[in-house]
Formats: sequence, C-alpha cells, structure tokens
Amino acid sequence: MNSIPDLRVILIDDNDIDLLLHERLISIQQLSHTILSFSNANKALEFLSSNITLPHIPPTVILLDIQMPEMDGFEFLRSFDSYPQKIKNQCYIIMVSSSLDFGDISRTNANPMVIRLLKKPLQPKELKEVIENIFKEQ
Amino acid sequence: MKNNRIRILYIDDEVHNLNAFRANFRRSYEIYTANSAAEGLQVLKGIEVHIIIADQKMPTTTGVEFFNQIKDLLPDPIRILLTGYTDVEDIIDAINKGHIFSYIKKPWDEHELFKTINNAYEIYSARKQLKEKVLELEKTNDELNRFIYSTSHDLRAPLMSVQGIINLSRLDNSMTDPQGYMGMIEVCITRLDSFIQKIIEYYRNSRLDLEFEKIDFNLLIDDCIDTFKHQNTSINFNVKVDQLVPFKGDFFRISVILNNLISNAVKYQKPDESSPQVNLSVKVEPHKATIRIEDNGIGILSEHLSNIFKMFFRSKNNNKPGSGIGLYIVKEALSKIGGTIGVDSRYGEGTQFEITIPNRNEFDS
Repeated sequence: MNSIPDLRVILIDDNDIDLLLHERLISIQQLSHTILSFSNANKALEFLSSNITLPHIPPTVILLDIQMPEMDGFEFLRSFDSYPQKIKNQCYIIMVSSSLDFGDISRTNANPMVIRLLKKPLQPKELKEVIENIFKEQ
Repeated sequence: MKNNRIRILYIDDEVHNLNAFRANFRRSYEIYTANSAAEGLQVLKGIEVHIIIADQKMPTTTGVEFFNQIKDLLPDPIRILLTGYTDVEDIIDAINKGHIFSYIKKPWDEHELFKTINNAYEIYSARKQLKEKVLELEKTNDELNRFIYSTSHDLRAPLMSVQGIINLSRLDNSMTDPQGYMGMIEVCITRLDSFIQKIIEYYRNSRLDLEFEKIDFNLLIDDCIDTFKHQNTSINFNVKVDQLVPFKGDFFRISVILNNLISNAVKYQKPDESSPQVNLSVKVEPHKATIRIEDNGIGILSEHLSNIFKMFFRSKNNNKPGSGIGLYIVKEALSKIGGTIGVDSRYGEGTQFEITIPNRNEFDS
C-alpha cells in the first residue's frame, strides 16, 4: 500500500480479541502504519470529532462491528452521518460482523456510507483487496 | 369470597323487572342494574361483569343495538337477550349481529334463567382460561425463539474469533504445528459452525413471513454448487434447468432446501467411487417447479428411509459428521411454502430426492 502512505485504519469493535486480530491482519499485510482501536463506538466518534479542526484529514478506513453494547454499528453510522462532509469524504466504512442475519445484511447494503460488509473471521486477502479497491477507484 | 361471585348487569327500562330480578337472584349473584342502554354503558365503564342481560324492547336503544354497540369494546361478557314476545326477526338479528349466547322469553322462568346464567358463566370462564393459555403459549414460544436466535449469534461470534486466530497464526507463521492440530481445531469449528447455522436456518424458517420473488434456477443452483464443490472436487455435477416460464417463490426457503440437499449429495459419496456424480434437474411449469437431485453415493438403508426427515435422526451406516437436522429443516421449509418431497434410495447405489414447489407467479393478463 505504498500509494497511500498516510492511510490510517480505525477499528471499532467491543471484542478485544477481534480488535487484536484485525490489528495484526492489517500490520502483517502492511495495509497501514496507523491503526487506532476503539472498543466503544462513542469513543471513536469523539476521536473523529476532534479531527474536524485538523487542516488535513488523512484518508481513513473504518472497520465497524455491528453488534456492540451501548452504541451499535448502525447507531454509529447515524451519528457519523451528521459530521461535516470534510471528514466524511475522507472516511471509508467497512462493516464487519459474524451475523448471518438477513436484516443486518440488507440494512448494511442499503446504507450509502458503507462500502462493504465483511464476514468474520476476516479473510486476510479479502480485506486487502477491499481496501486496495477503495483507493484504486480514485 | 365476594370477588368469586358471578357479576351480572341487567338492563331493562321497566323498573319493576329490575327489582324482581334483583330480588330473585341477589343471593346467588352480584347484580348491577340499569334502566337504559346509556346507563348500562356507564356501569360497564366501572365494573367488569361476566354476563350482560338486556331487554330487547327499550326506548332509544334496543337490546340488540346495545349488544352490537359494545361487542368490539367488550367482547368478553356473555350476552343474554330478554324478549317480551317471540319476534323471530329480532332473535335472528340478535344472534347474527350481537354475538348473543341465548335468549330468554319474558316473563322469565326462574329455573330456566338460573340455568342459562350458569351455562353462560361456564362459557365465560372457559373462554377466559383459553385466552390466558394462548397468551402464555405465545409468550413461551416467543421467548424460546428469541433465545434460539440470540444464543446462536452469541455462540457464533467467539467461534469466528477462534477461526480468526487460526487464520492469523498461519499468516504470520508464529506456530509450529507438526501434528496438524490447528487443522483439527478448524474441522471442529466448521462442524460446530454449520450446526449453529442450521439452527439459525430453522429459526428463520419458523419465524419469517413468506416472501415471493422471481427465481432464476440456473443462477440459484450454480450458487449452491459453488458453495459445496470445494468439499469434493472430484464430483461431476450435471445440471439441467428447463425454465421457459417465470417462477416466483420464497427465495430464502428454496435456497435452504436446495443447499441442504446438495450438501448431502456431496457429503454422502462413497470414498472409493471413481466417478462421483450429482445430477440436478429443474422443470418449471406455470403452476409448479419440480426439482430432482440424484447422486450415486452411499445411499440410505431402506429401514431408515422413513426416519430421515425426523429431527436429529442420523443414519448409523455412515461415519460422516452431521447434525441430523438438515433434512428436518428441508421438510419444515417445504411445508411452509406448500411443497412436497419424495425420496428413493438404494443402499450402496445412490439417492434421489424429488421436490415440487408451487409457482407463485401470478398470471400476467
């Protein structure tokens, strides 16, 4: 991923082990040098709002889990939708879930902010391809 | 004690009737009276009565009109109509419109009225009990379903983490595993996961409403084969789809049925078979689709054939892993969409399933 040197990845998942797994999958495949993990969607939103004042917002891939306590993935999307375009334009959201629920799947597909829904466990190759494709299109 | 008494509301415009009724029955029942429909309504607002007796011939609102008025608001109390004269029209009207249990001729015979009231109360309490039981059952059923649903999701999440850890250990080569233990763990994960997925399929089949959409059997069958062909790459699939007319059906259930049957055809092959075959044919007609799935696998013992659609039944003549729930789900899904299934098998030679599914495509005109 030399083409996007400042690419960063934000991981949002309430499961510590999955956070660790995804972190490792990204660093081993050298998809990004900057990985930020949040076990709470609210904390991730706080972080993103602190970015609004930055002069330059780096391209950001967000791996977002669906089922989480307090704020779930869909609630995160709803709140994030009200953020300024400046930051939304730089964020690419990939939903991640072990859910086989058709309702979850169709809700994800219907959301224009979501690029893809990936099933857990994440396949290293698939993750790499999806992220590469995001930036190939530009 | 007082709460256990039968509560009766009696509505009549003639006050001496109300008084006579009260005098006759006050020792046996808890009695409320009203001398007009409007007053009766007032009483009903405050007190839950079991039985309502109304005179037919009253000014402004008749007994039948009154019963008709309250039947949606208060469906539970049993209604008895009192008529001074045998007007057949009134009675028929009453029974049809007002959900009336019985009618009594005026002047009433004390014993007859007594018996009628007691019968009415028996019906009241039987209905009430039935209602309570139904509510209770619905609640248990709902809880059970939600339990199945959330348990299967909660079971699956950590299992997928375990699989993720194995994937990672392969990716970074951090584990030396000369005995192949990781592979064994993986086999167990896949087994458990496919069982959890079956439970979710079962849950969804029993809960989801039918939804009819256009189905292209060529695409659907190709998808199913793609899912399973890697499990045994030597299998030769012959697919013949004869779909000249459009087909509409419940996509989820039909794919569950095909997935389970194709998965079985792939799984139950003979280990020493030199040319394993799975033949699939679909014929779509305006009113139904007929699907045949045929394999030359190990077959099913004839004495087991009648049991294969039972929940958790597993044939003992094979040592393949299975949950014994696949064909049960197939049968349940077919019964939801009004389809049928037939099976023909020879032990050691192969198995053939034939299913028919009604075509829900409305005629375009």
